[in-house]
Amino acid sequence: MTLPAAPVALAAGDEMPTEAVGPLTRTDFVRYAGAGGDFNPLHHDDELARAAGRPSVFGMGMLHAGMLGTRLARWVGPDNVRSYTVRFTGQVWPGDVLSLDGRVDAVEPGEGLPVARLSLTVTRQTGEVVLRATASAAVAAT
Amino acid sequence: MIDPAIEGMELSTIRFPVERGKLAELARALHEEDPAWHDSGAATAAGFAQLPVPPTVTALVDHWRAGGPLADVTAIGIDARRLLHGEAAWEYLAPVRVGDELTAVARVAGVSRREGRRGGAMTFVTIETEFTNQHAEPVVRRRDTLIETEAA
Repeated sequence: MTLPAAPVALAAGDEMPTEAVGPLTRTDFVRYAGAGGDFNPLHHDDELARAAGRPSVFGMGMLHAGMLGTRLARWVGPDNVRSYTVRFTGQVWPGDVLSLDGRVDAVEPGEGLPVARLSLTVTRQTGEVVLRATASAAVAAT
Repeated sequence: MIDPAIEGMELSTIRFPVERGKLAELARALHEEDPAWHDSGAATAAGFAQLPVPPTVTALVDHWRAGGPLADVTAIGIDARRLLHGEAAWEYLAPVRVGDELTAVARVAGVSRREGRRGGAMTFVTIETEFTNQHAEPVVRRRDTLIETEAA
C-alpha cells in the first residue's frame, strides 16, 4: 500500500488494513531509542529494569504509538491527520507480536473537507490491549 | 514526591531541526518499509510536494534537550524509575516538513494525585508543548500525561 498524498474516501465502519509487527526484540527498542531519543534505561538495560521490579526491559510507549501513528498515516494520508490521542494501557515486552487495528466510527462535516473520527488499538498476541487511540482525519468528500 | 507547586512551571524551550536522516531512522524504527517516508524521489512519485512526516515526528525534540531526554522529568521531581507515560495527544495545526527548524515550548499544565488500584498513590503530571516552525507558525500542540507510581 502506498502512502496517500490526497484525502481518501472513508465511511463509518471502514477498517484500517490490519497489520502484525514482531516478534519485537531488544534491538527494536534500542533502534527506537536511537531514532526517537528516549534513552530511559528501563527500555534497554535489563539489569536496571529488574532492579526496578520489572521482569525485563519493555518497549517505550512512543514505539508502539509511533507504529500505530504511521499505519494511521498510511491509511488516511500523513497530511490529512488532524489529531491523534493515545492512552497507554499496558506494556510491550521482548517477543511480542503486536496487532495494529483501526476503524472509522463516524464521518462528520468539517471546515472544507469531511472529518473522520477514528478508533485504533495496539493488541499483544495475548489479547491484551496495550494502547487505545482516537484520531481525526480530513477525508475526501463523497 | 512531586511538589504540586510545579503547576504552571515553564520547562525548557528547545529549537531543533527536522532532518531527513532522522526521518529515515524513525521510519525504520517504526517498521515502515515505504521509501516515501525518507526518499524525495519516492515521495514525489507518490504525489507529495515534499517529504511527509510521521504523526509522532515531534518526538525528535528529545535529542536536543540539554541534559538529556529525561531532563524535564527530573527537573519537575519525577523519579524516572517510577515513571509511566499515561497519555499523549497531538493536534496538527500546519504541516511539518523536512528542513524545518522547530521550537518547542513546554509547561506543566496540571498536577494531581489519585489512589491507585493497588492502594498506592499515583501523581499525574500534564505537560503541554507547543511546536512552532521557523516562520513562527504553530504546527503541533502536544499534551502528555506522565504518571509517577508509588515508591516500592
